[in-house]
Amino acid sequence: MTATMLAPTDLRGAHEALADTEGTIQIQGAGTAAEWAGAPLPTDTVLDTTRMTGVLAYNPSDMTVAVRAGTRVSELQAELATNGQRLAFDATRAARGATVGGLVATADSGPLALAYGSLRDLVIGATVVLADGTVARTGGHVIKNVAGYDLAKLLHGSYGGFALLAEVVLRLHPVPSSARTVSLDCPLDVGAERAALVLGSALEPVCLEWADGTLLTRLEGTPDGTEARARELAGLIGGSVLTEEDADAAWARHAELTGAAVVRVGCRPSRLAGLIGAPGGPAVAGLGTGIGTVQLPFGEVDRMHDAVTAIGGTSVTHQRPPSGVRAWGRMPSAIRVLRALKNELDPQGRLSPGRFESWFGEFGNREENP
Amino acid sequence: MLNAAVRDALASAVGARNVLSDPVQLRSYECDGLTGFRQVPAFVVLPLDTESVAAAVRVCHEHGVPFVARGAGTGLSGGAMPVADGVVISLQRLRRVLEVDAVDRRAVVQPGVTNLDITKAAAPQGLYYAPDPSSQQVCTIGGNVAENSGGAHCLKYGFTTNHVLSMTAVLPDGEVVTLGGDTGDQLGPDLRGVFIGSEGTLGIVCEITVRLLRVPETVRTLLADFPSVRAAGEVVSDIVAAGIVPAAVEMMDNLAIQAAEKAVGAGYTLDTPAALVVELDGPAAECGSQFEQVKAICDRHGCTRLHIAGDAGERAKIWMGRKAAFAAVGRISPDYIVQDGVVPRTRLAEVLGRIEEMGQAAGLRVANVFHAGDGNLHPLVLFDEDAGELERAEELSKGIAELCVELGGSLSGEHGIGTDKACSMPRMFGVDDLATMDRVRSAFDPGKLCNPGKLLPTPRLCGERPGRYRPHPLEEAGVIERL
Repeated sequence: MTATMLAPTDLRGAHEALADTEGTIQIQGAGTAAEWAGAPLPTDTVLDTTRMTGVLAYNPSDMTVAVRAGTRVSELQAELATNGQRLAFDATRAARGATVGGLVATADSGPLALAYGSLRDLVIGATVVLADGTVARTGGHVIKNVAGYDLAKLLHGSYGGFALLAEVVLRLHPVPSSARTVSLDCPLDVGAERAALVLGSALEPVCLEWADGTLLTRLEGTPDGTEARARELAGLIGGSVLTEEDADAAWARHAELTGAAVVRVGCRPSRLAGLIGAPGGPAVAGLGTGIGTVQLPFGEVDRMHDAVTAIGGTSVTHQRPPSGVRAWGRMPSAIRVLRALKNELDPQGRLSPGRFESWFGEFGNREENP
Repeated sequence: MLNAAVRDALASAVGARNVLSDPVQLRSYECDGLTGFRQVPAFVVLPLDTESVAAAVRVCHEHGVPFVARGAGTGLSGGAMPVADGVVISLQRLRRVLEVDAVDRRAVVQPGVTNLDITKAAAPQGLYYAPDPSSQQVCTIGGNVAENSGGAHCLKYGFTTNHVLSMTAVLPDGEVVTLGGDTGDQLGPDLRGVFIGSEGTLGIVCEITVRLLRVPETVRTLLADFPSVRAAGEVVSDIVAAGIVPAAVEMMDNLAIQAAEKAVGAGYTLDTPAALVVELDGPAAECGSQFEQVKAICDRHGCTRLHIAGDAGERAKIWMGRKAAFAAVGRISPDYIVQDGVVPRTRLAEVLGRIEEMGQAAGLRVANVFHAGDGNLHPLVLFDEDAGELERAEELSKGIAELCVELGGSLSGEHGIGTDKACSMPRMFGVDDLATMDRVRSAFDPGKLCNPGKLLPTPRLCGERPGRYRPHPLEEAGVIERL
């Protein structure tokens, strides 16, 4: 079966792509997370979002921007930077061309999540298209807003299974005038001890990551302020303040390791080192966020899922394991609600089947027996 | 009236002593902070733990009886108003702090714990809970979750949704589930985020894990007077343009200042047209240099008096004036309505001008207190019910909220839609938007028993049909389109 390709350029086109077609649809962005989570099942149609690009409204004084969801975060950041602003979000995939919509749908986040959270915390409004073509708006263009249900949250981590994200409104932050990184080469258990010192201090790190043998702490603020704090931090943990060039190289290595991960896990931060240190493969540990990634053989993936599940954490694969190995560690506790939502929003099971494996199993069956 | 079978079932769910059915006792639950809407429920139950909350909900589910969760009842949108012939499930007795984890910086609390008590429990570890609604001494975390409460410091630190990691929730059929997890990551879609701010319509939260932040090294606070609201607004714009993210920026107009000063004597200038409270926090050196920048910006815009809090006591006094403003308005007017709307911050001056015109046209005074940093207004419409002004005041207040939508903002920044604004929702959202929200509600609560009649407009509440949809200004400007 060859899938029909659709590549709408705007909301109207996105609406038509869903309203005027029948059968299953795979929603696809830049493809930077194609190997993440469950394997997509073949669909009648592939809806490519990467032509739905561009800024719809940007008012620097209000520090909000509305974009089409296929806009690449890297291109958006370049535009925002001309006004001294940024989307305070640095998932590794952003630099590799990932789209705003794709990053929301996959609930990705980077080291800056320690200070700014993930996109769920930065999206203030959205326009979505349901499987039947219904266009629904949620939130708005203001940072503070509690009117109505926050449908954008429902799309965060939905892997295209609930609706197509067509437009997104984001809150922005100023680009700090200075950033400095303090580094300490150390094993993971030592890194975890030092990280606790950093978190107990008043030094306000925005990133705190152990990346395969190196503890990296980033501070942002004024030039004088970050210089003083970086020196204090280096003294506190016994590390050194990196030059700008060395800091860039260290974070590039962090990104490379994250990009090569096989599994992403989340748990109470104090338990993370014990969890991802065990397999012995290259790992990255967000020692403040509790989110880490690890490289390991596919044969050990299920064991990692079980270890995470045993302590109540989350885990999902970032490389496609051979069949028989689980992509998700476990189903969420409220799986019944997720199924009811799927049934309400996509009753025919059209959208992005497969990414949650057997979670929405009844819909998978329907696809096989139309 | 509900039958004895329901009462017996509730009694076996939560214990007979914890079911109230005496009309006098029931009356104290007839409204929340929005006292204009009242309804006496059939029963009030006071469960002692999660399991008995779930048991009470199962009784309601099995008997088809509507139910409403209630915390401290401080809400200002009628979100906790009972339903006729329904049950109120009060969470007031679930008030234990279950855990404070200083290492992973989080606390696990029951829903009846007050917002401020979380911070008090965390304080010995140098930690605090960031969202700080003005009612934080009495409002409960369960209510904060329902309303996605903000507070003066949410400009920098965010809202309840940014600080709740996970929750144990009772779904409308009585199933107990966990929403969220130990980190920002979740398994699949963010149900936690949908639940927070759902105004008690998707279930009842029974155990909440919140993030705790380290107390900042320094806090600097100033109170500055300005010759006009416009000048004060320009200061806020310039602070933001300088790349400074203050912990809080609050503005009060003359009427609000007079009221607050009469009530608490916090040292505000009685005849100044406008005053700003600006607070910065963070590492000492950076906080200090940015504070100097803020002072210079104030001077540049004709600041007539600058008062800098010299210590924690003086800071508390400045905040007392600001936080007392709502209640204090009672000193200058027999009755008043607290409104809550949001506009893009750059349209503050415009919206204030329009509010003034609308007030004049209605022959009523409006005092303004607002979170200037994020454009969240709290106009206080002053009136005298004995003089027959109630209806005009309600019209004016509603008009102000809808004006906020017209200017590209929102009907509510933190008080919620509840009963109060459900009929205004069609001003902000289209038919398909609301229908989609209703689908979400149905997924959680197909029987429509969980806090019915709140948040979304219903024909019964709003007349046969919701008001005609009016295009969003961004739509008129061609920025967005509605298909």
